[in-house]
Parts: sequence; structure tokens; C-alpha cells
Amino acid sequence: MTQEADGDAQGQPQQDRDPDAPVFDGPPLSLEEELAAARAEPEAGPAIDTLNESLADGVNRCPKCGSTDVRLRGSTGQLVCLFCRHEWQEARVEEELGLGVGIDDLEGTVVAGGAATISGDDVMTLTCGGCGASVVVDTAHALNARCHWCRHTLNVNERTSNGAVPDAVLPFKLTHTEAVERIREFASKRRLFALGRFKKEFIPENVLGVYLPYLVIDARAEAAYVGKGEVQTRRWTEKVGDNSTTYYAADVYRVDRSVSFTVDDLTIEGAAGRAKFDARTTNNIINTVLPFDTKNAVKWNSSYLVGFTSEKRDLDVGALQPVLESQLLSIGRSQVHESLGKFDRGVRWEGEQIDVGGSRWIAMYLPVWLYSYYQEDTEMLHYIAVNARTGETMGSVPVAQWKLITAALTVGTFLEGIAGAILVATA
Amino acid sequence: MIDQAVMAVVMATSGDSAPIWLLAAGPAGAVATYWSLYRYYRNNDKSHAFERDTLIKAQPVEGSEEKVDHISRTRDSDIDGDNSEDHRERVERLG
Repeated sequence: MTQEADGDAQGQPQQDRDPDAPVFDGPPLSLEEELAAARAEPEAGPAIDTLNESLADGVNRCPKCGSTDVRLRGSTGQLVCLFCRHEWQEARVEEELGLGVGIDDLEGTVVAGGAATISGDDVMTLTCGGCGASVVVDTAHALNARCHWCRHTLNVNERTSNGAVPDAVLPFKLTHTEAVERIREFASKRRLFALGRFKKEFIPENVLGVYLPYLVIDARAEAAYVGKGEVQTRRWTEKVGDNSTTYYAADVYRVDRSVSFTVDDLTIEGAAGRAKFDARTTNNIINTVLPFDTKNAVKWNSSYLVGFTSEKRDLDVGALQPVLESQLLSIGRSQVHESLGKFDRGVRWEGEQIDVGGSRWIAMYLPVWLYSYYQEDTEMLHYIAVNARTGETMGSVPVAQWKLITAALTVGTFLEGIAGAILVATA
Repeated sequence: MIDQAVMAVVMATSGDSAPIWLLAAGPAGAVATYWSLYRYYRNNDKSHAFERDTLIKAQPVEGSEEKVDHISRTRDSDIDGDNSEDHRERVERLG
């Protein structure tokens, strides 16, 4: 479109302007400001840099004695040097990265470095800082390795492009013994109708400590809903012969509601295998032990993983946007629910809309004690999961169908007997 | 105890023959027993209640309602397809 057409379209008179005349773009900047602008680096993207700069890949030594035998001490939640017993911990990301603030002002999709798009290979080669040997680590399954020559523990601490290194980690708090106790208590309440083979093979000591990948999201959103609501205006009973029927009269309303809200630390599964919830899996069990005290997550240090297993994140932020929107819509629906009291015959929502003004995504490893049992005849993997921070326990215990059906038939027969007795007595 | 319960039902229906739907008590009780035990063991209906357990700060709810119709006679005691408590049931996306 030409400049002339622009002017006409806006209905403003055209003014002749000398094309060579300088354009006024505000008062001149000082020399220092001009120089600073000229030297400035290109603006960084919206990502949050969560790299732990104090650590590198390879040998990470105890700050006191220099040993590399470092692991998590569950009872204190701190890293402990197995050589000199010195204990320390990484900084909490909540304060370090300012995650608890600014949710009201979020704009666009802000993705932290550890939640970036996944690409690249799982296998990494580390050079041992102790002896110089090359040690291969399959980061899909482990982020620590022993140097096979000098026995130093090697750590993967720098960002990998395959999603194996998150922004933060929430250390295990519950010990193995405590987890075993909770799993045994959970299963012992469900013995009577449990599958015989499960009871025989139940060894809760086999529980595994696993760091599972999650995306922890802060978001600002506005949700809107439209639907129909009904208010009862009259209720009466009509009698025809021996039968009486109740009738209702009601007013029908078109209802619309909207609500703006922020969510802090909404937690979504970051592994595709765990994010699938259907009747063929028991993934809902692990989902149920959420939430975690994600505010206590600390900066990444792979020493927290020594002695535990971990699963790699394989879902990108883009793939999880629909999940976030769906959860925000659900949250909005629960928020507007209280405003529907007038509609005593209920409300039927017919349309909904979500506008995510801004979201901030952090990749996090969260700790779960996981007991699994594979039921061969149904090819189903049953989990009993313990939240290793709060102790919340949930599980799926395989049932002996014949026992359940026997119990159901017994109760049914008993109730039918009572019903029959009543009918005979009143005939 | 059970005799007393039976007598209570008998008294409640006294003067008239007991309704025939009482015969459905057996099958209904059997199905309810099966599903309640199955759910207690398998917990297949459980999930994280993120609507309740997440830190949420909401502004006051806004909205309006407009009367569009009147139902003068129906046997339904509530609206068809009430989903006001099924927060996770998605409906048509607008916009």
C-alpha cells in the first residue's frame, strides 16, 4: 500500500514532506548511551538460564576434601561426601531464579534452558578429570558413571540437548525403609481379594527410587465459558390411578462466565510413557501422588542422582501446550463453579475458551519410590508409588477376579433373599 | 438387626403390596459390590486433583445470564447433560 493510499484510508489530509529531510526520532541520546547501544549484544531469547556454573561435566569434588564420592543423604536432604562426611546443598531455584514472583506479568512462553526442545544423541563421552580416560555414559538411563580406571565418580552436569539434564531437582526425603513400610501397609490393607501370585511374589524391599521428569509451569490465563442453566420454578405431582408422577417447570438461561487467574507450579508429566492415561496402564497411580513441594527444588547437580535411577524427558513444551490449556480450562471451570448456585437444575457448558497470556516452563526431576509388578495374564504393569517428599502413597493391586465375583454374588444373593422375603410378606 | 431392617421395609410398604423393583436389589448390590472392591484395589479412578492442589490466585468471576426459554412441564428433575461438576470434560473450543 502506498503512503498516499494510507493517508486517504485514514481520512487525514496529506502533507507534502521533503524526502531528504531528517526524521525526528526523539531527543538525542548521550554519547555514553549511544556507545552502550552500539556495543550491546543481541537481545537474548525469553529462556531462563539455569545452568549450574559451579559444576562441569566429569569430576566434581567435595568442596572440603576433594573426594568425588558424593551422594544424597536422604535424612537431611543434603549432599554428603562419603570420605570426609562434609554436607552441603545446592541453592533453591525458587529464589535463585525468581520463580515465585512475576506470574502476573508473564508474557508469551518462557522456557528455561533445561526444558528446551529435545534433539541429539543420548550417548555422551566424558573425559575423566582424574586420569584422562574416556568414559561413555548413556544419558537416557544414567547421569553418573565410575571411571573404570581410577574409580572417580563422573557427573553429567552441563546441559545436554537430549532432555536428560533438567533445570532443577527435588531431592529424595523419604528413605528406602520408610518407603518399604508405606508400600507394605498399603498392600496389607488389600490382601483379601488380591491375586494369589501377587501375594506370593510381593517383596516391597525391591522398591526403586526413581527421579521422574516433569515440567513445572507458572501461567497467567483468562478462561471463558458459555452454556445453559436451568432454574426450577414449580414442582407438582399428578396422580393417574395408582401411579403418581412428579413434574417440573423451569426457566432456561443462557449463562456466560469468565475468570482471570494465575497458577503457580502446575506439574505435568514430561515423559510420553508416563503421560498416557488409559485403561491399559496404571500411570494414573504415579499421577495421583502429585503434588510435590516443588518450591524446595534445588539447582541441578547430578550427584543427587547417585544411587537412584532416572527417566529422561522426551516431551517438548510445544507438545505439552494442549495439556496445559486443558488443565487451565479445568481450573477455570472449578473457579466459576461457585457462581452457579442459582441454577438448581444444573448447568450444561457448551463452549469454552482459554487465553494463556503467559507461561513459564521449568524442567524438574521429582522423586518417587516405585514398586512395580507385572501381571502376566493381563499384560499389565501395576505400580505402587510413594511420593518421596510427602509420603503420599497410591497403588494398583491386581485382583483375583473369581474372588471378587464370588463376593459380589454372595452380597447379591443375600439382598435378593431379603427382597423376596419382603415381597412374600406383603403379597 | 437384619430382621429389624426387613421389618422396617415391610412396615414402610404396609397396606399395599411391595413394589416389584425390590427384585432389582440383588443384581444392583452385586454390581455395586464388585465395582467398589475393584476400585479399592485397582484405584483406576484416581488422579492428581490439580484443580484443588495447585496454588491458584483468581480474580473475581465475571459473567451474566439471560432468560431465553421456559419449560412448562417435564419429568426430568435436572438439566440434560449437566457437566458443571465435570471440570475435565472438554466441550467445544471457541475462538
